[in-house]
Amino acid sequence: MKASLHFNLIRKEEILSPSPVRLRVMLPILSLLLVAALAVWWMLALTRAHAANQKLAAVNAEIESLSRSHQTVLSLCAEEKELSASLRQIGFYTNALTRFGGLLSGLPEHVPADIQITELYVPPPAPPPAPAPMPGVKAAAPTSTFECVSLRLAGRAGGDAPADAVDSLLTALRKPDFTNLIVRAAVPPGAFRQEAARGQGNRNTLLFEIQCDCVPRRFE
Amino acid sequence: MSISLDILKDRHNPYRLTVMISAAAMIAALTLIYFGILPARDRLDAARKEIGQAKSRLVSMQAAIGGTDRQRQKTDSVRAAHQKLLSAGLLTPLLGSYAMRGKQLLDPIAREAGFIIDGVKELPSQPIRLPAPPPEQLYARQPVEFTGRGAYTQIVAFVKLTETSLPLATLSSIKILGQPQTPEKHKALIAFEWPAVGEKRQPAAKAKDK
Repeated sequence: MKASLHFNLIRKEEILSPSPVRLRVMLPILSLLLVAALAVWWMLALTRAHAANQKLAAVNAEIESLSRSHQTVLSLCAEEKELSASLRQIGFYTNALTRFGGLLSGLPEHVPADIQITELYVPPPAPPPAPAPMPGVKAAAPTSTFECVSLRLAGRAGGDAPADAVDSLLTALRKPDFTNLIVRAAVPPGAFRQEAARGQGNRNTLLFEIQCDCVPRRFE
Repeated sequence: MSISLDILKDRHNPYRLTVMISAAAMIAALTLIYFGILPARDRLDAARKEIGQAKSRLVSMQAAIGGTDRQRQKTDSVRAAHQKLLSAGLLTPLLGSYAMRGKQLLDPIAREAGFIIDGVKELPSQPIRLPAPPPEQLYARQPVEFTGRGAYTQIVAFVKLTETSLPLATLSSIKILGQPQTPEKHKALIAFEWPAVGEKRQPAAKAKDK
């Protein structure tokens, strides 16, 4: 029986790798290179951050130097906005102006001789409706753009045909002389009646009222 | 782990130094990354972002400053229009009284028309609708009531003359009552209204601060 005998005459640390690059040497070198590369990267990042901060300081300094001129422009803009808004608000008022002079001066021509006007009344504007309450917000002005205007004529009609005289006045109020201001004229129910209080001699005298709806004031 | 510990324990092991250097280098690298590079990059990013914002602000400021003359002309023209409108018919109180200012304005007109003013009364003011955006200085409608006497033609002349000579005054209400004792002379309650300076509104930002 043959038996082979193996002698290992080379020591473990004397064994050389077939590779020319030895891990034992390369690993520390690569590690140190990595650290060096990271250090360079860090320095680069610090330099860039410093440069960026300097640039930011320069831009801020430029902003600071322009701030006075900019403030002037801003105050001009703010003044223009404020004045424009005021003009718009007063514009709402001027657009809602109503002229009664023409209507009042033209009225006598159309009142028949049998009619005596005893009262002419344009009521004051109704107070604006209260806006919906909002907690913590004080309403400064109404949001309504519309205000009704009306005219009431009251008087006596006599003569042979007082009803015709009142009708004639009513028809005149619907003519183009007045339609620029009056949109609707009517005798309200029960407003044309006999004047009972003044005794026997005035039985033919009738009292009347004419209610006119005028063109509304539009605050637009 | 047990292998590396064995290597470190064995002073004659050629890999001992390799492992120690590599481990130290790895620790140093991680320290550099976490405590050096990442914060520096964050600072750089923040600075770049701030530079971008500052630059855009600078550009907008430069553009605004470039239009100063145009803005000044625009503001001047609006200011002139505003002043013209106010001087045309804004009602200002006379020694604190709108009624007395109204009387001062309408007395000459009443004399010209032949209407006799017996009394003047200041009525409560009414707000005017707000535009959007609203101004800080608000204006209101200020009515003033004139009580007087005159023939119908004189009353009408008073109204017409007021409307023509005071362009911002408008008839707010009128009541002409025939008098049985003096059929030719009527009693009249005439209220005219003008725009007047109202309250000052708190700007939204200031109001919030309070």
